[in-house]
Amino acid sequence: MSKITVAGVRTNVQELLKHSNEEKKRNFLETVELQIGLKNYDPQRDKRFSGTVKLPRVPRPNMAVCILGDQHDIDRAKHIGVDAMSSDDLKKLNKNKKLIKKLARKYDAFVASDSLIKQIPRLLGPGLSKAGKFPTPVSHAEDLNAKITEVKSTIKFQLKKVLCMGVAVGNVDMEEDELIANVMLAINYLVSLLKKGWQNVGSLTLKATMSPPKRLY
Amino acid sequence: MKRKRSALEKVDADLPNLQHKIRSDPPSYENEFLNQHAQYASLLELFLQSPTTTDDTGIVRLRDLIDFVSHVADCYRATTAGFAGDLTALLQRHHETLEAELRDKIVGSLVLLRRKEIIDSHALLQTLWPLLVSTHSKALRELLFTKILSDLRTANAKTTNHKLNREMQTTCFNLVSGDPASSKGLWAVKLTRELWKRQVWTDAKAVSVMEAAALSQDAKVVTGGVRFFLGGDQEREEAADEDSDEEDGLDMRQLRHQAGINKKTAKRDRELKAAAAKVKRKEKKKKAPHPLNFSALHLLHDPQTFAEKLFQLHLQPAQPKVKLNLEQKLLVLQLVSRLVGLHKLTLLPLYSYFIKFLSPRQPSVTSFLASLAQGTHNLVPPDVLEPLVQKIANEFVSEAAAAEVASAGLNAIREMCARQPLAMSETLLQDLVQYRKSKDKGVQMAARGLLSLYREVGAGMLRKRDRGRDSTLKLRSGDMEAHRRFGFVEDGGIEGLELLEKWKEEQGVEDEEEDEAKGWENWDAQSDSSESSGGWVNVESDGEDIDVSDSEEEREKAAAAKKQKAKTEEVKDSDKENVAATAPQDDNTDAKTPDPSRNTASLEPEAALKREEARISKLATTRILTPADLAKLHELRTAAAVTSALPATKRRKLQQAAQQAARHGDDALTSADIEGLASLSHKASKEEKIRMARGERVDGVQTEKNDHRSTTARRKEKKASEGKSTTNREKARKKNFLMTLGKAKRKGKRSLVEHRKVLKAHVERGKKGGRRGNK
Repeated sequence: MSKITVAGVRTNVQELLKHSNEEKKRNFLETVELQIGLKNYDPQRDKRFSGTVKLPRVPRPNMAVCILGDQHDIDRAKHIGVDAMSSDDLKKLNKNKKLIKKLARKYDAFVASDSLIKQIPRLLGPGLSKAGKFPTPVSHAEDLNAKITEVKSTIKFQLKKVLCMGVAVGNVDMEEDELIANVMLAINYLVSLLKKGWQNVGSLTLKATMSPPKRLY
Repeated sequence: MKRKRSALEKVDADLPNLQHKIRSDPPSYENEFLNQHAQYASLLELFLQSPTTTDDTGIVRLRDLIDFVSHVADCYRATTAGFAGDLTALLQRHHETLEAELRDKIVGSLVLLRRKEIIDSHALLQTLWPLLVSTHSKALRELLFTKILSDLRTANAKTTNHKLNREMQTTCFNLVSGDPASSKGLWAVKLTRELWKRQVWTDAKAVSVMEAAALSQDAKVVTGGVRFFLGGDQEREEAADEDSDEEDGLDMRQLRHQAGINKKTAKRDRELKAAAAKVKRKEKKKKAPHPLNFSALHLLHDPQTFAEKLFQLHLQPAQPKVKLNLEQKLLVLQLVSRLVGLHKLTLLPLYSYFIKFLSPRQPSVTSFLASLAQGTHNLVPPDVLEPLVQKIANEFVSEAAAAEVASAGLNAIREMCARQPLAMSETLLQDLVQYRKSKDKGVQMAARGLLSLYREVGAGMLRKRDRGRDSTLKLRSGDMEAHRRFGFVEDGGIEGLELLEKWKEEQGVEDEEEDEAKGWENWDAQSDSSESSGGWVNVESDGEDIDVSDSEEEREKAAAAKKQKAKTEEVKDSDKENVAATAPQDDNTDAKTPDPSRNTASLEPEAALKREEARISKLATTRILTPADLAKLHELRTAAAVTSALPATKRRKLQQAAQQAARHGDDALTSADIEGLASLSHKASKEEKIRMARGERVDGVQTEKNDHRSTTARRKEKKASEGKSTTNREKARKKNFLMTLGKAKRKGKRSLVEHRKVLKAHVERGKKGGRRGNK
């Protein structure tokens, strides 16, 4: 396919939503993923790109977030019903690699108070950054709930050892327009990251967790 | 004559002749072959009984026979089934005592048998590799290494031979990691490096061999492994460039032209065909999909553990198992810090390790500074880095210090702070920035670099009068935070999108679908044309369709907006408890849909900002950026960046800043970067001066800049190297004056009629397309 149109994306999204909401409804919330294949891309000369972008809608509302904070933030976290850990809890892990790995695996993202975040590398070692889950800072002045939504709606494009990648851009519970907006923004951002724009894009595929893939480009 | 030839045939020593005949007709010469084979067998047996005492003639004879049999072995496979086995056994058992020429012949024969596909690569490598590792003869090692290398390359020439590669890589890995203290691993390192350079091995397994090498306990093996990670990728790139350069040497047009003029011989014909095939092959290669070429540093399985182990094994202990000298230690340090910077690893002991090396008297201190800077990244806690920055500032940057020292210190601090701005304290920064008034150019530039860096990343830390106009404005408007926060990652946006949107509004494009279709017009064709054309896209023509005011798209949008609003209201009703959560979202959707009632209301700046942002993202969320859009985006961005109204000096400064910013954080840092201008002021030694006068660079490469010849001479050489001769114009200019005299005289005396005829003929000729025009 040599080009991608708004109408084409719309029909694909419609089909996808129809498949997973009507034809084969699953017992869980399916995530919609954008799968990207790159081409003509030399990871050495063009430099590996990575970038984060905030989507208009939260793609995965069920993401588990953990607050690593001081007393004030822990209280706030309890108030809105999010898991929280204090620095003492972290010290209890005692730099035990297995425990830290377990912690990193348990949550999808972390938010840490400004006062605590500087100690995170000392307290936890490389465990969190290795898992790509280094916490996002939050200050006392900021709204914790808004911060969590922001963290949840931020997606990261990162090229690893292969020339393809996938990012979650939404779920099947979303409205068609919302999903389209998320997909569009993700695609546009990706293309603007690439050195040669569309010439670097090999394929774009949209897929819900249990649906057949829909090729967009 | 005939008798003579038959007499020759009888001489059984004439093996090449027999070989030639066998090739053309194997069955009829079978008896002769069997004869020779029997001789070979008996000689071999004799040799095996007393390998050391066999006389010279016997050895020569045996060598010739081995050569002969291996050459014709493919014609009599049944008879020679055990031949390869004999050779292998002979080589394995007696390679230390064998006479050198016979030994080389056996190796050559084995390779020949592999080429004739009598034995496979696996068997060959199984024989040669252990010999390479164990033999004491240097000549044999060299021979074996080249043979192994070429065999692996040919095995991978057409398609990647995964099985063989895996086997060989495992062998290499076992060699390196099996006995870490021995220097034999060097061969594995050499082989891997060579094959990596040739892009035969490009996968993670090859990298893991080098990983094991870097962690071994032999200094040579360690440096081999470390050097691979630091320079292997560059080496590969250079090798690839060399390959692609070669094709420029062959100009097919010129060759064909020459073939048409020169005498035709079979040899020249062959050469032409070979050249054509070569060019074709190159073309094919050019069109082939780009090989996946990830840097070795990116293919590491677990960079964190690797860096930790390297550090703990070679750098940290006071008495390490491996004795490395300073240069080797520096290499290891470079690798560790590169890994830390590239993968953003957490290796806190590394930074305190640096402290004792940060003094101007330390040998090759600039390399240490460069390593420190490249090992810094934004996830390093600032309190770890602060003492280091302080120490550099104390030791290097002072009025009393020499200019080079101060500039190196400032450059190092700048590089560190570019990666982690929080490492700097306010008072120190304000102090260091004062050095921009220094008399020395290098110090001045370095201090200015630091100043411009902090204007970007932390203007709040500078004194008010140092902040500069742009940063002050940005600070006041709230575009920039006064202080950065640790661990904060800025969300990326599509740069310049608001410019594009504004432009679209100005153009008044309404029919978006048509516009979209236009944006994709023949963009793929452009991609095939060279990159230098810059992907020019015709976007001018979309001004035509302006008049449609309420298009379908507009109506659709309005409907969507309504739907969204209705939905948010629903949400509000359904869970009232969670008002706080929906509030920002609600704000978002409202802002996105153009709502007149809100437009007029005076809003606080925070909300206005949000509205602005949301409005911008409308373009990105409702349509796809076409190639034309992207091209326009780029154009607008550069137009906005180049402030042509500014004076030239300021423009230059901006460009410099942009260049600094363009340097990727992933890039390696060298000591030359730290030295800065000081490296330029270094006094040339006598040898270097002589080199310069000869028109060579210090490392012996001819350069344009230092070429002290006349322009004409250089141009002439360039022409000659391209294989071009002189132009007609040049010929006319150089023509002997006396030869032109006659025509010039005649020209003046022409009659009007003649003159007209000449002019007319000239015009006619022009119409036809010149003297040699296509008729």
